[in-house]
Amino acid sequence: MKKYLIRRLLQLIPVLFIITFVVFVLVYLAGDPVSLMLPEDASEEDREALREALGLNEPFLYQYFHFLGDLISGDFGTSFRYSQEALPLVLERLPATFELAAASMLVAIVLAIPLGIFSARKRNSFVDLFITGGSVLGKAMPNFWLGIMLILMLAVNYQIFPVSGRGTFVHLVLPAITLGTGVAAEMTRLIRSSMLEILHQDYIRTAKSKGVSDTLVIFKHAFRNSLIPVVTITSLQISHLVSGALITETVFSWPGLGQLLVQAVNGRDMAVVQAAVFVIAILVIVINLITDLVYRLLDPRINYS
Amino acid sequence: MRSPYKLFFVAYLMVMLLVSGCSNQSSTRENEKGTKGETGKDKTTLVLAQSADITTMDPQNSLSTTGDRVFRNMFNRLFYRDANMEVQPELVEAYENVDDVTWKFKLKQGVTFHNGDPLTAEDVKFSLERVMNDQTLKEYPYFTQLAKIKVIDDLTLEIITDGPMPTLLRLLAKSGADVIPKKYFEEVGLKEFQKKPIGSGPYQFVEWKRDDRVVLEAYPDYFDGAPKWKEVIVRAIPESSTRVGELLTGGVDIATDIPPNEWDRVNGDEGVSLVTGDTTRIMLLVVRTTEGSVTADPKVREAIDLAINEKAIVDSVLKGTGVPVRSRVPEGVIGSNPDLYDAYVYDVEKAKKLLAEAGFKDGLEITLTAPKGRYPLDGEVAQLIASMLGEAGIKVNLKLLESSAFLDIYNSNSNEELLMIGLADGLLDASYSLVHYTKERATGQTDYYNEKVEKLYHDAGRNLNEEERIKQYQEIQAIIAEERPHITLFQQGSNYGVSDRVEFKPRLDEVINFSDISVK
Repeated sequence: MKKYLIRRLLQLIPVLFIITFVVFVLVYLAGDPVSLMLPEDASEEDREALREALGLNEPFLYQYFHFLGDLISGDFGTSFRYSQEALPLVLERLPATFELAAASMLVAIVLAIPLGIFSARKRNSFVDLFITGGSVLGKAMPNFWLGIMLILMLAVNYQIFPVSGRGTFVHLVLPAITLGTGVAAEMTRLIRSSMLEILHQDYIRTAKSKGVSDTLVIFKHAFRNSLIPVVTITSLQISHLVSGALITETVFSWPGLGQLLVQAVNGRDMAVVQAAVFVIAILVIVINLITDLVYRLLDPRINYS
Repeated sequence: MRSPYKLFFVAYLMVMLLVSGCSNQSSTRENEKGTKGETGKDKTTLVLAQSADITTMDPQNSLSTTGDRVFRNMFNRLFYRDANMEVQPELVEAYENVDDVTWKFKLKQGVTFHNGDPLTAEDVKFSLERVMNDQTLKEYPYFTQLAKIKVIDDLTLEIITDGPMPTLLRLLAKSGADVIPKKYFEEVGLKEFQKKPIGSGPYQFVEWKRDDRVVLEAYPDYFDGAPKWKEVIVRAIPESSTRVGELLTGGVDIATDIPPNEWDRVNGDEGVSLVTGDTTRIMLLVVRTTEGSVTADPKVREAIDLAINEKAIVDSVLKGTGVPVRSRVPEGVIGSNPDLYDAYVYDVEKAKKLLAEAGFKDGLEITLTAPKGRYPLDGEVAQLIASMLGEAGIKVNLKLLESSAFLDIYNSNSNEELLMIGLADGLLDASYSLVHYTKERATGQTDYYNEKVEKLYHDAGRNLNEEERIKQYQEIQAIIAEERPHITLFQQGSNYGVSDRVEFKPRLDEVINFSDISVK
């Protein structure tokens, strides 16, 4: 177990190394940050001076290795836009994004578990068709569109929720539904198929023939066993949540990591893009690791040693 | 058999009910303590929504309109621009031009910073020296003409320039000339200053939640009398439909940068309206006059200008939010030529004739590079221009590029015959815009050179006789309008969504003074 953990953690190093290089190349190719920072008619000397001050006129590889060198000592460099260290800028955004992700996950679970079980039980009925059809729709709706529609209907036409911003619980509702719907749709389908498979297993039939009540069969025998694939998909969805947060946070002007990253990419703010992607990568890897550990709790037959 | 579903269903309904119950309750609470529904005399909080957050709390390192709208209300400068863009003394009691390069300023008495410290000549010296010496500051390039700042006594100082500088007062009214408290700044350093910035302006800092909001409150001891609003919140809402949504529901009082596709929504709603103002940004075509290029022939350049109907562009695509112009210096900017404002030339027949005279009887082909998504409706405008030129027999090869690819072409001088761009004037003085027609700046881009323009520009730059200087600039513009290294199209408008609860008038420099906004 310990060995397994260490091996997994060591895998982090090459992954992060590759990520920094890819991000660096992409941001480098995307254009000159200086021309975005100065007005259009700044003179060539002004642009040159700023480039010099920011160390942007060095050759590409030199810039990259310089960046790597600093990175090893934990320094992501200074944001061009904010003239501040990049890492604290990223870390101060994490609580907002965690809050949104957790709420979205809650929305997804609250929707998906009952719907999934229900449609598995009523397989091929009208209700099942309705739920599976609805889940296709939920998955197909872009976050962006759903967010704007929810704002239009529930915040502008019927002023039940605030339009944007972060603060109280009500501010969280619309963004969480926006981000949670896609996840809920995918989870519903998965729980349904996983339940269907298990409901045909011999031990379920045995339990039923013993006269165990239906409730008990579903919740004690079937549901728990159907959880393993659900845990997998849930953890996979967490990385979806991060990418969905980019869009959802922008629509609702939610001051989280996603919005920071979008602004940083738009401004070619290399240090912040690197720090944000780095932090997200670590999060995803750690979540995957936790998932593997949770498997063991759910199914003692899985053994990593 | 059926009980588990029922149980589930009931539990599910209860959860949903709970969620919606909570939200209803708290949203009512929100309404009570928020600005919603506040009207008339009770309204003491002003909420503004911008399309981008400020990026720093250092007023000398910002160089953005979004930043200036916040700093203008937190800091003071020696001079300011009134609503008509006239330069007026702000911190200055009296001033005199001692000789060609020396200016003496007497500061107002009783001005204090938000921490109670008095504002003295030392603070002014410190602030100006910072921006004229520190090359890493974004405002630095504008302040290179300042040579020395001398403190005479607590409230008197002298500014010495590196040559006669007719634009000095304008520069002292510009962003970056903000006065910051020397003692406090040196005590805490830039990093801490950004966390708790202190100025002497009408509003003082409360908090800045990045990418969310800046909160300011009235500074009761402001030297010019207590400010109008108790609290001002400047929100950052990048998504335009959300910004409009906040405006329509009363969450914000003024929303900036309303894009054309939202105009109808803003105008169609009761309680809000679209307010359009002018900007110093002029959309224009950069024309290559380099030997060997077809546009080196002045007749071809004139034909292009004659083939474009600027009025039609403004009226159709821009729905009237813009003014056709024949100069880069719009009305309101010092040195503007009134003959060339709200004016355009359009005559397709004459354009065809000129092309034939130039030897292009069977038409010619040129390339137009234009951005898409950088300015409101820029792509549509470029397409319309291409089809207008087509009517005159000029086949246009239209290259529509994303913003940063476009800037790469512009900055590397890889522009072909025509390039469409919008240029603004940060100083509100013709000298800022007309520098483009000097040999030094034109080389490589338009390759335009005219000895007379060159001489007029350099003479004006050192001319302390304001009237004469303006005439010199106006003459340059008249020459440019005939020779066309730039074919100017129109002055871009600025569009604000404004709640009927407040009275707001946009300014040419797009800055917003909170105290100029009043409750209706």
